[in-house]
Order: sequence, then C-alpha cells, then structure tokens
Amino acid sequence: MSAAAPSRIPVEERLFSLVLALLATEAGLTKNEILSTVQGYRQRYSVSGDNANLERQFERDKDDIRELGVPLETLDAPGQAGNNQNLRYRIPRGDYELPADISFSPEETTLLNLAAMVWREGSISGESRRAILKLRSLGVVTDEPVIGYAPRLRVRDVAFEPLTAALDKHVVVRFGYLKPGEQDARVRTVAPIALIQREGRWMLHAQDQDAGGTRNFLLRRIVTPITTTNTRYTAFPASATEAAKAELDQIWETRTAAVVVEPGSDAATRLSKRPSTTASGDTLTLHYSDIDLFADELAGYGPEVLVESPEELRAAVRSRLERTADDHA
Amino acid sequence: MPEIPKPGAPGKAKPGTKPKAKQTSKAKAQPLQAQDKLTFLLSLVPYLMDHDRVSVAEAAAHFGMAKEQIREAVRLIGVSGIPGETAQYQHEDLFDISWDDLEENDQIVLTHRVAIDDSPRFSAREAAALIAGLQYLSSLPEHADRTAIASLMAKLSRGASATPSQLTVQSSGTDETLALIRDSVDAGVQLEFDYLNSRGEHERRRVDPLRIESLDADWYLRAWCHLREAVRTFRLDRISHPTVTTEPITHGAADVKLPDTLFEGSADDLLVTIDVAASAAPLLADYIPDGAITEEQDGRLRTTVRVSHYHGLKRLIASMPGVAVVIAPPDARAAVHDWAAAGASRYR
Repeated sequence: MSAAAPSRIPVEERLFSLVLALLATEAGLTKNEILSTVQGYRQRYSVSGDNANLERQFERDKDDIRELGVPLETLDAPGQAGNNQNLRYRIPRGDYELPADISFSPEETTLLNLAAMVWREGSISGESRRAILKLRSLGVVTDEPVIGYAPRLRVRDVAFEPLTAALDKHVVVRFGYLKPGEQDARVRTVAPIALIQREGRWMLHAQDQDAGGTRNFLLRRIVTPITTTNTRYTAFPASATEAAKAELDQIWETRTAAVVVEPGSDAATRLSKRPSTTASGDTLTLHYSDIDLFADELAGYGPEVLVESPEELRAAVRSRLERTADDHA
Repeated sequence: MPEIPKPGAPGKAKPGTKPKAKQTSKAKAQPLQAQDKLTFLLSLVPYLMDHDRVSVAEAAAHFGMAKEQIREAVRLIGVSGIPGETAQYQHEDLFDISWDDLEENDQIVLTHRVAIDDSPRFSAREAAALIAGLQYLSSLPEHADRTAIASLMAKLSRGASATPSQLTVQSSGTDETLALIRDSVDAGVQLEFDYLNSRGEHERRRVDPLRIESLDADWYLRAWCHLREAVRTFRLDRISHPTVTTEPITHGAADVKLPDTLFEGSADDLLVTIDVAASAAPLLADYIPDGAITEEQDGRLRTTVRVSHYHGLKRLIASMPGVAVVIAPPDARAAVHDWAAAGASRYR
C-alpha cells in the first residue's frame, strides 16, 4: 500500500478503514488525526489548506456508521471540554462486539432467517438484510426447513418510515389525523411509544402532547406528511408497549357484534375463521377493534351479512351500503 | 384456464380481484449500498477468523452472495488495516491473506488480522426488525413454543448496540389449518379440503402442499392441485374441513417451479376505470397495472384496476364506501350497485 494511491478510494473502503482505526485506538483519535492518517481521507487531506469538505465527509460517515449499530463515541480532551478540535473519537470494543455468551443454534438461525424475510419493503428490509449478514458472521450452518415459508409483512403507509425514524431518535412528531366521521383533519403532536401491527394494519401508540395521555393512531388515517420536531423525549420503557398491546387485546375482547351470515357464502366461510369467533346457527359473534374499519369490511360482503347488533355498527354498515349503491346508481 | 387460481386481494382480500403483488425494488441509494458493503466486511472478517481455510464457493453460499462479491471483499480486507504507530499502514498493521490460495485455488486463508476480534452487534433497528418478524412468525405452528421465541428475542435485545425500537406485531394465534398442513407435510401425504373459490363455488380439492405464504394478516397455501393438475394458490380462510389423507404426495417443492409472485395477471383480465381518494390509493396499488394512466383532480385519482371478474370487484368497492367509485364500464358499475343495494335492502 503506498500513500500515493489514487484518490478515488471506494466508500466502503474508507468506512471500513475508519472502523478499524477507531476500534484499534484506546485513547481515541482526534478529527485531524483521522483525516490525515486514515485510508480514504488521507489521500484528500491537505496539510496546509482547507479541509472543510473532508470534515463534512467525516460527519456524514460518522452518521452512516452509527446507523449500523457501531458505537462510535466522542471523548472530551481532559481540561478542554467543549473544544471541538480536541475531541477524540473511538469505538469501544466491548460495546461494538456481540457479547461472547450470545450464540444462536441452527434452529434459531433458521428462524431468524425467516424473520428477516418477512420484510421486503422500505428501509426495514435493508436493516433485516444487514442483521442477517451479522448473524451469518457467526458461521452457524442451518438446516433446510421441510416446507417452504414465504411470510411477508408490508409497510405501505407513507408515515411508516418517518415514524420509525422518530421512534428511534426519540423526537416528537406532528401530523394531521382524520378521524372517521369528521370533516377535517386535526393536527396532533405526539411522542411515539411504539408502532404496532394488528390485523394487518399499522398503528402508532403515542403520548399526545396536547391532550395528555396515550392514544392509538391508525397510520392510514394520517393525512399529512410527518413533521419531525426538535423536541426530544425520554424513551418509554418496553412495559409501555406491553400495556398498549394488552389494552388493544382488551378492546378486541369486549367489542362484539352479532351478525347473521348467508349459509355457504364467502361471508360465512371467512368470517367464521376470524379469531375468537363463535357461531350459533347462522349467527356469528364476531370480535372487532375499530367500528369503522369493521363496518367497511362487513359492507364488502353485501347481502351475505346482516348486522343485528350493536345498533351503531348496524347503522354504519347500512349507510355504507346505501352510499355505495347511490354512488353507482 | 377459466378456473380462478388466485386468492383475493392482499390485506383485506376480496375474491376474484387480482392483485399483481409488486416485487419490491432492489434499487438502493448510494450510501446504503456502502453501508451494506461495510456490514458485509465487518461480518466476513470474524467468519474467516473462525475458518482456517474456506473456499470462495462455500463462503458465497453461506452469506448468500455471488462468488465475485466474496473475492472482491477478501481482496479489500487483504489490503486494509490500521494506520498504526507510524500512521503509515506498515505491513504489520494490515490484514493479510494467502494471495496465492485466493488467486490460484479460490480459497480464503486469513494469515494476519488486526483490530477486529469478534462479530458486530446488531443495531437497534436491525434487532427491532428481527424481533417484530419473530412476533409475526409466532403464529406458525412450529413456533407455538412462545418461551423459545421469547428467549430468542431477549438474546437479540442483548446483542443490540442500543435498546431495540418498539416495533411490534400482534400475532393472531396459531391457525388450525396451518397445523394440519404441517402434519401432512411431515407425513408426506396429500391433503384434502373443501374450497370456496372467489366466484362462490364450492369444490372438494386434493393437493400436495408446497409452500405457505402470507401477506400481513392473510395466509395462503400454494399446492399442486390434483383436480386441476397444476399449481394453485388457496386462501387459508376459504379452506373448510381439511383432512390429512394416507395417500403419498406426487409433487414436492423440488419438482415444481413456483413463481416468485403470489399473484399473476392473465390475458382474460377485465380493466375497470375507477375514481379513488388519493389517500386511499395505496390500498389499491396491487390492482393497478403497470403503466396505467392515473390522473389526479381535487384529491381524487382516476385510474384503472385489473380484475378477473366482477364478483371480486363488487366486494372490493363495497368495502371502500365513499372512497372508491367505479366509473366504467357500465356493467361493472351495475354489478357494484346491485351488490350494495341488495345488502342495503336487508335493513329495510
């Protein structure tokens, strides 16, 4: 390797060299040391001139590396806190390496491979792909499963990406939310707690900054782009997510509808397969979470279903069918 | 073939409508590619440290990469290292490999290493992606052991560089039909069930199960259908009275070429013009053919959807009241009208 290498060093080589250099240093390296000595920077470093471009490059690289879970930390020089030029950078080995007592069996590895396959859209598919590279680094050889599975979760809602980012960075977000039956969207300012997928739909569980207390927001009812604020909040404990899930289960348990289905119809076959459905003759007792979404679903079955109770659901399905009939008259 | 092999729509599936299930684009922004490559380099080094000698082919198979990608990465590792005491990247500051073995035998032998001792941790988001994926999979019968899943999730959390983001999937519990399919696969025997197709017709089917697929809350079986003598896709919630037979299967997953996409279009498809609220358009994305002309006016989109017959269309449109309206052709409008009107009349 000569120092006179061509200046076009591939990005991955520069990033790789940066990680290696910062892993190898106990005391840390100053920005100047990094820019003047590390492969990929040193070729572009000017001893006398202006290195502003290179410094900006280093800032971006730091972000990219941290995004991969590499714990790049900064140390203040003793007695010079706040002096940016003397900040020292390093990657503490203990926080970088997978703890030695963590290993995965072949069965677990097979399962994790499948779990990663679930994501095939958006940046989360890239994250699961990288997680699998790290897993394979451990060298575990997997067994082939007997039957092929191709499970897949979708993240179609445009709000999904910005909300996961906000969740990750613990920043308050703002968005317009349109409740069913209301004419205009209301602006909500919330601290995200969790993104929860239930019955195929994503919702945001968050603390409402104006109303106080926690609320659930269906992502498909978010009608404006997500605005990320500069307000940070303290991360919520995992128990907050568990509580939200328990509450959703509770809602599902308590909300039931009595629906008469046409025997042998699509409605009879498919509605009876919904979780926790009970049947008495042609009358099904169905559980649901959200009256508006459930009314939409039932309206799709047209004359195959007749809602008996609750009255609110009955009226909602009826008015939906009348609306559709009118729209197509 | 007039038979309807396709399941209903993904998400809230409706019979007879024919989503085309887009393949997600592999195209990535430039920095992301570099991040993937960096992750690969940081993962490959510990793997090579654990293997005194490994062929390029074996490493490629293990990481699911092309052989040339492995060679490229190994060559880069071979010339990489740390600035070292002299800040000059001296020989002892660099990784080294047996170059002859690589170039002549396509074998990788790491002869000197620096800086890296072990595999990297997962990032918080990577761990979160796997944890949510596991939660989703916990409805599969072989993963009914929740304690095993829970311990695996705990391990991922502990192996992450920061607390994993709260991304969670509530699974609906194990499906009995899925469990029966598993049983028939384990025994290598055919499966029989009543199937209600998307036109509303009941038929007894006998199949060799090949693959279980899902989209969000909907589960599908792809199987060799003995009645149709072809591969068919069955929605699990349209399967009734499944029975595991004693007849051995005639087609295994290795004998049949399964297309990657769950749904396929056909030349017999009907094209329907609709108006849909722009905010709801993503819900119909699967039905909109590539290259369809879409016009937006006052927050509503006029576009074309592709369906195999109106049985499915009327259900789909009736489940989006006030949001989607069929414009043409007239018989499609009439089919939706009659369906909704018949439903409404039950309440008079």
